Amino acid sequence: MRYGEGFDAVVALERIDLAVDRHEFVSIVGPSGCGKSTLLYLVGGFLRPTAGEIRLHDRPIEGPGRDRGIVFQRYSLFPWLTVRDNIAYGLRELGVARGECDRIVADHVRLVHLEGFERRYPRELSGGMQQRVAIAQTLACNPEILLMDEPFGALDAQTRRILQDELRRIWRRGSQTVLFVTHDVEEAVALGTRIVVMAARPGRIKEVLTRGFDVDDGDEFESNPAFVALKLHVWRSVKEEVDAARA
Amino acid sequence: MTNRSGNALLTRFSGLLRLLPLLIVFAVWQVASTVGALPKWLMPSFFAVIASLADLVKSGEIVPHTIASLARAGAGFAIAVVAGILIGVLMARVRAVQLAMEPILMLIYPVPKPALIPLFMVWLGIGNFSKISVIALACLVPIVIATFNGARSVDPMLLWSARARGTSGRRLLWRVVIPSALPQIAAGVRTAIAIAIIVLVSSEFISSDSGLGYLIFSYGGVGAEDAMLAVVLYLAVLGYVFDRLYVASLRKAMAWHAFAH
Repeated sequence: MRYGEGFDAVVALERIDLAVDRHEFVSIVGPSGCGKSTLLYLVGGFLRPTAGEIRLHDRPIEGPGRDRGIVFQRYSLFPWLTVRDNIAYGLRELGVARGECDRIVADHVRLVHLEGFERRYPRELSGGMQQRVAIAQTLACNPEILLMDEPFGALDAQTRRILQDELRRIWRRGSQTVLFVTHDVEEAVALGTRIVVMAARPGRIKEVLTRGFDVDDGDEFESNPAFVALKLHVWRSVKEEVDAARA
Repeated sequence: MTNRSGNALLTRFSGLLRLLPLLIVFAVWQVASTVGALPKWLMPSFFAVIASLADLVKSGEIVPHTIASLARAGAGFAIAVVAGILIGVLMARVRAVQLAMEPILMLIYPVPKPALIPLFMVWLGIGNFSKISVIALACLVPIVIATFNGARSVDPMLLWSARARGTSGRRLLWRVVIPSALPQIAAGVRTAIAIAIIVLVSSEFISSDSGLGYLIFSYGGVGAEDAMLAVVLYLAVLGYVFDRLYVASLRKAMAWHAFAH
């Protein structure tokens, strides 16, 4: 993936080769500027690759589609719509009947624990609640793939932790494949069944690690030696890239 | 402690407090007239102006002029809102329209619109049509600029969000671009309300036989300064009321937006 032309061209991503299976939870972690968000936007179809191809079920991705839902760090929600109307947005665009739409919205309000806030506007909610709405809005359209671009990056540590647990629970119950971009190593390991470590300049995949053990709800996993070891490994791998970028 | 109770007092009487500077100005004005520091031939006293205003309202003389003025200002303003939003959105979305409109806008932006009134009268006659056209043109500029800026600065992530949820093409305009530009459009419309009143009065100075501007001009012409100032004061109050009504209805209609004031 290149930005610009001629001498000013920047190679943002190079030789990305990654296959993702159904219902995988893939964390993508790396130093800032490694192109992890660019990779996500390519899968989302918002950007077109300058070389290579991204395929979904053997069909090349040619633009945004309902089969892929995206949650950004901010600005996923429409400020002029209430929580309910935000969640209903994709369903209305799809032409889902009123009653069916109301039912799906109610289900998703419950899923992210926002009962009683249906009539609020995004600006009346905390950052954590806004991201819950964004997740509900995306899930309501029932996408196959959930693209998450540092969705918890702007939240405080406690809220982030709670939302991580909720996301894991939602993912485990559903059938979605998740691509989760983060710069937080612990988050990447606590959520991803596979962890992709990226390197910068040009952005490329450095290594792909499989988490061979389960992370359950609660906080016991933090003292699991396997978790600690994997986290340390990923952290060292990322740190190498941060240092390399600085040098 | 004293500070906090002082603040509580401030909030409690903030409505009154806001009027305090005005009351002081009026009081100084009246006292200056009474003690003779402000002679009558220079400026009538505040009470004289208020008495004149009461007469104008009581006799009903001001009513037909108010109606004539509001009809002109309202018509010009309404045309400007519709055309302004349309032009602004088109400028933001269609490059050719932007290239065509930008230099024209920049040219007419600093022109004092009342200066165009004689020209418009030559083109469109001395009746209402030319007055309404000048008012519309004057109101158009801030609305077009605000709409253009608002529609142009839509967050690209918001557009992506909408596209990922199935909105495309022209629907993006109605579902995302215009709603997200609304706060800026609203601010431009608010500016246009004040401009409508300013240009209205100027347009009625010239060849008119009705309207508040005509009233000011004719009272000024016969040296009835108290009545002239009474109409000016009346216009000021009218403008203030319209602005407050507009802001209040905006807050209600756009509860999703955090207004600064």
